[in-house]
Amino acid sequence: MLYSVDTVLSFALLASLFALGSSRLPGLIKIVGFQGIVVSMVPIFIEHNITSSAVTFYMFTMTIRGIIIPLAIYLLIKKIAIRREVQPIIGYHASLFAGLMLIVASSIINHKLALPATTNSVLLMPTAITILVTGMFILMARRNAIAMVLGYLMMENGIYLVGTTFSMGTHHIVEFGILLDVLAGVMIMAIMLENMKQKFDDVDTAFLSELKE
Amino acid sequence: MVKTLIILPFIAGIIAFFIPKKAGRKLLVAIGLIHLIASILLWVERPTPPFPDYFAITPEGLLSLLVISLLFFLISIYSQGYLKAEEQHLLSDHENLISNTGIETIKAEKIFIGSILIFLSTMTMVTLSDHIMVMWIAIEATTLASAPLIYFHRTAASLEATWKYVIICSVGIAMALLGSIFIAIAMDVGQVNAPVSFSALTSVAKHLDPIWLKTGFVFILVGYGTKMGLAPMHTWLPDAHSEAPSPASALLSGVLLNCAYLGIFKTNKIMHEAGLGDFSGNILMTFGLISIIAAATFILKQTEYKRLLAYSSIENMGIIAFGTGIGGMGVYGALLCLIHHSLIKSSLFLTSGNMLLGYGTKLIKETGNMVKLMPKSFVAFFAGFAGIAGFPPFGIFIGEFFIIMAAFRSGHFVAAGIFILTLCIIFAGFSNQMMKISFGPSDHDNDTANFSKIQMDKIRSYRVDIHNKIDIGKISTDKKHMEQKLSMILPQYLLLLTSIILCFWMPDSLYQTIMNAVASMGGLK
Repeated sequence: MLYSVDTVLSFALLASLFALGSSRLPGLIKIVGFQGIVVSMVPIFIEHNITSSAVTFYMFTMTIRGIIIPLAIYLLIKKIAIRREVQPIIGYHASLFAGLMLIVASSIINHKLALPATTNSVLLMPTAITILVTGMFILMARRNAIAMVLGYLMMENGIYLVGTTFSMGTHHIVEFGILLDVLAGVMIMAIMLENMKQKFDDVDTAFLSELKE
Repeated sequence: MVKTLIILPFIAGIIAFFIPKKAGRKLLVAIGLIHLIASILLWVERPTPPFPDYFAITPEGLLSLLVISLLFFLISIYSQGYLKAEEQHLLSDHENLISNTGIETIKAEKIFIGSILIFLSTMTMVTLSDHIMVMWIAIEATTLASAPLIYFHRTAASLEATWKYVIICSVGIAMALLGSIFIAIAMDVGQVNAPVSFSALTSVAKHLDPIWLKTGFVFILVGYGTKMGLAPMHTWLPDAHSEAPSPASALLSGVLLNCAYLGIFKTNKIMHEAGLGDFSGNILMTFGLISIIAAATFILKQTEYKRLLAYSSIENMGIIAFGTGIGGMGVYGALLCLIHHSLIKSSLFLTSGNMLLGYGTKLIKETGNMVKLMPKSFVAFFAGFAGIAGFPPFGIFIGEFFIIMAAFRSGHFVAAGIFILTLCIIFAGFSNQMMKISFGPSDHDNDTANFSKIQMDKIRSYRVDIHNKIDIGKISTDKKHMEQKLSMILPQYLLLLTSIILCFWMPDSLYQTIMNAVASMGGLK
């Protein structure tokens, strides 16, 4: 059975694979931004009765996740990053392979779970888990601090997707608060990146190893 | 009242970014005082808060709020002297002026005061929030508001500490968000129709789907446990606590960790109501024991006194998690430890600020002879050590005693054995370091000793010499110079005094509040 939302979700799934394979920061930013837009479109396909306030909220989410945050990071690297590689700790091929294994694993997990009310999609939960873990993977397997921030964003995208599986009802105000926290978090990370650039002339986290036992 | 408590510090924080720093310092104390009074009024009146779906006044929340208010007020008084001393210290250092860090630090002070006020507002929101997601929003906001506090000194080390803090805590707390969503899914699967708030969930806990609830609890424990400093997710804590300026360390250790614990405590309450208390209790006990053991290994070989205090915080959070896991009387002990740890540890961190200003170093081996060099700070430091290590007159002892008794009663003999043994190791390690700092030889000490010896020889050879007398006088003023002003010592004394008073005389409403909080987890059997 083919659902319309699954078509959209497959884009998000592909984006996470691209993210694992991309070696340059600008590309990675575009992928994460694209994924943000796709992910914030998903509720429109899932929900049955859409109110105008809900649509406004989804547009808002899309603007922040898909445009404002990626743009802010893009401007940041224009300003500070000399080296634009993501400086992998685990290589691209290994990362891609891990990503594929992840998709398989999350599909298996999805089969084992008794999930509620996601009757009109088969891909939702596997995609959410894949995006979430891919984000964590990028966070841990890249030394470049900007790539780490992008990994964090990807993780948040995944969590947002998990959140759409249950009926939040009219709790858009709460979701809005979460979004605001994410935005503020990224802004604080961006300020710290600027400081890091001033201090070390690079955003390689290998420089951050002074504090040890 | 509820609105004022949250909004007032937030607005004041925004204002503090723009006004001169001297006015900012006064604003800090004023808001601290207003917040304390408002919290006490809230305690007495207990009104229904606005937006009852999102906010509620719970006994455990009130308890934390009162601790936050009291600590913040005393820390704001201490900050007056500390910020002034820090400023003078930096301006007198020529290297700092050349490298521009001195000027930067003065700029940083406005950001410090603004952030600490917003930090107060977000922590208040944590204690009063009832909706699961609002709680998460508030706890994440505390991370963001406190990050600029850690970066106060603008050094490479503080940048590293802040970066670790923000990344590790944000990712950790993202796990808690996932856990919160899982609990909401548990409602959907169990077909429960209620607000997604802790109080509503506690009343319908039996109908929630147990598997999703368990998964949710594990994720929430890992998430908020990161923020609370439970091992093995504690790695950010020693760095952040040692790099932050002392008033900020005191707040981080004294109340921020409690806020994260509040999230775990409330979720644990749901687990108990759902009849899954054993499951959650065992996990909490395991994490607690791991934290205590991890703290013990690092305390034994610690070289910096602020890190020593930070690891002691990890130990205490472990004790609290362990007590909560045991349930019943253990929870009572855990809450006692929570209150007294806040009071005593924040006092210790404030005193560590005096030491840093006096000795000019964080290394234990370069301190020493504190009893002679800084007698007043020494009293606060040593009394604080006695309290935190669990000497009888202080509340930590009573709390640990209850926890151990509860552990034996419920038949957790092995866990109780490990618990007692590790506490003994920590006590030994801690007191060893403490003796070095308090009574060990010090470089400053040697300087003055050698100097006065030469002086004495001179005096002997020249008999009476006015010139030398003046020199000796200079030395004694130098010695006094290491001690700080009264406004930087009294807050510590007050904190310790509150802790001691609470051991002998607990106000009835406070006792009732603790009892109400404990009642949901088995009560005192």
